[in-house]
Amino acid sequence: MDKPPLALDPNFSGGSEDFPALLRRKGLLQNAPEITGASGGPSFVPTESTTILAFKFSGGVLVAGDRRATAGNTVVYDRADKVLEIDRHSIMAIAGVPATAWEMARVLEHSFQYFRRTQLQEMSVDGKVRALSKLLRDNFGFVMQGVGVVVPIFATYDSNSKPEARLYFYDAMGAQFEVTDYAATGSGSPAVRGILYYENTWGSKKLHDLNEEEAVAIALRALDTAAEADTATGGVDRTGKIFPLIKIVFRDGIVTLPEEKVARIFNDKVA
Amino acid sequence: MIEEPYRWVEAIANRREYVETQLAQGSPIAAVGYRDGILFLTIGRRSRQKIYEIYDRIAMGAIGHPGDIERLRLAAIELASTEGFTRSASDVSLRRLAHYSLSPVMKAAFEQVYGPPYLARLLFAEVGSSPKEDLFLRIDYDGSLTADGPVAQPRQRFAVLTGTNSSAELMEKFLQQNHVTDAALPDAIAVAADGWSVGRMGLGENAIKEMPDRDAIRKHRDEQLADSGVEAAVLERDAKSAIRYRTLSEEELHPHLQR
Repeated sequence: MDKPPLALDPNFSGGSEDFPALLRRKGLLQNAPEITGASGGPSFVPTESTTILAFKFSGGVLVAGDRRATAGNTVVYDRADKVLEIDRHSIMAIAGVPATAWEMARVLEHSFQYFRRTQLQEMSVDGKVRALSKLLRDNFGFVMQGVGVVVPIFATYDSNSKPEARLYFYDAMGAQFEVTDYAATGSGSPAVRGILYYENTWGSKKLHDLNEEEAVAIALRALDTAAEADTATGGVDRTGKIFPLIKIVFRDGIVTLPEEKVARIFNDKVA
Repeated sequence: MIEEPYRWVEAIANRREYVETQLAQGSPIAAVGYRDGILFLTIGRRSRQKIYEIYDRIAMGAIGHPGDIERLRLAAIELASTEGFTRSASDVSLRRLAHYSLSPVMKAAFEQVYGPPYLARLLFAEVGSSPKEDLFLRIDYDGSLTADGPVAQPRQRFAVLTGTNSSAELMEKFLQQNHVTDAALPDAIAVAADGWSVGRMGLGENAIKEMPDRDAIRKHRDEQLADSGVEAAVLERDAKSAIRYRTLSEEELHPHLQR
């Protein structure tokens, strides 16, 4: 790889290098090998996790995910966290292979901090959105081998832009799509998209106008509906008392809803 | 000619003198422990930042040549970030960063007389989970280390960085007399600013030799504040987020510097 132009000393990096490039230089991060020709399909079944959704409501952006991780027909784990905080105002939610996704989240989190610390300014929202896109693109070799597909949602709050709440979803190749109202990815997402579309178009209130409690109720209903038909989605485990993980990006930071609160809203408005 | 040992010693001595002269005008930085963490403070031209975030619990203050400071700062951030990424944030330690990486590199650069030395003096602090675990650490241009914290018997919960030895001694003496370990942040800000003034008065052509009295310190501080900016940052022990570093704005600082 070419040395960045600012690297004056082989011991030290220049200011222009981004964090993934630094990791590659140190041999700590590898791009997925690109395979040409027909792929024979995976020889093992990777662990995957689904379903995630996000939408804007009156207070900010709500991001929710069920807790199930599966490998083929087997439920591997029922308390997986698919909604991850990247920095004070950014959340990445993941559908797909958690091994790849958690690593991506880690790289991303460190990238933003590395940029702020070295460059002495916060990375712009566009820069952050692009950074995730680039990680997905670098991972595409694994996707083609059928073992590392990740389809994330990225939600952030930017007080310098209009609208202030920003919401994106991605495809497995790294294309980012900014949405105005809602996004859902993962195997249970068709049902979720149906519900969110219905609520936003014909519901008693548009998603934008919901208060926090109403927003949480709709998120729970949507995930429960997705779980009804999709075995890979956990929904709400009524006997095990496992509830979806819900985080909200507000103007002044991220709040993880405590389980008791989610449970209460579930019992009041969903169950 | 430098192959001869005494020539080498002479070259090093010359180099030491040169670097000391270059650093002699460096405006002081005070790092003081307070009830809820560690405060870094300096007063000076607003044009150049002197206090930096290195990692979640580590901050750095520096004087010297901007280019050298920048290279060392980037190296420190790079080392801490890769360690934090491959292992975990709690495996990043200032002690290791300084002892195994920065100090040897700075020593080597200083003693290889054909290459340029680092014209920089660095002050680091790492906030621990209790005051006893706080670490203050200074690395000089020749790689020598001075530490106060869990590695040795801690003597004091503050550290200073300034252009000359005599200025540093005055500053340390002032802080020994006036610094209170469990003070609240406003009091820590006032003490650090006074400490800065003492250090500043000990620099330059009209450098003081004896500890000035309280009125002289206050007068000097107010004069300096009138046409300079205050730069300060804290490492907060119990901050909710993993990142403990926070820059203090001038609005936040000024009320505490009027007294």
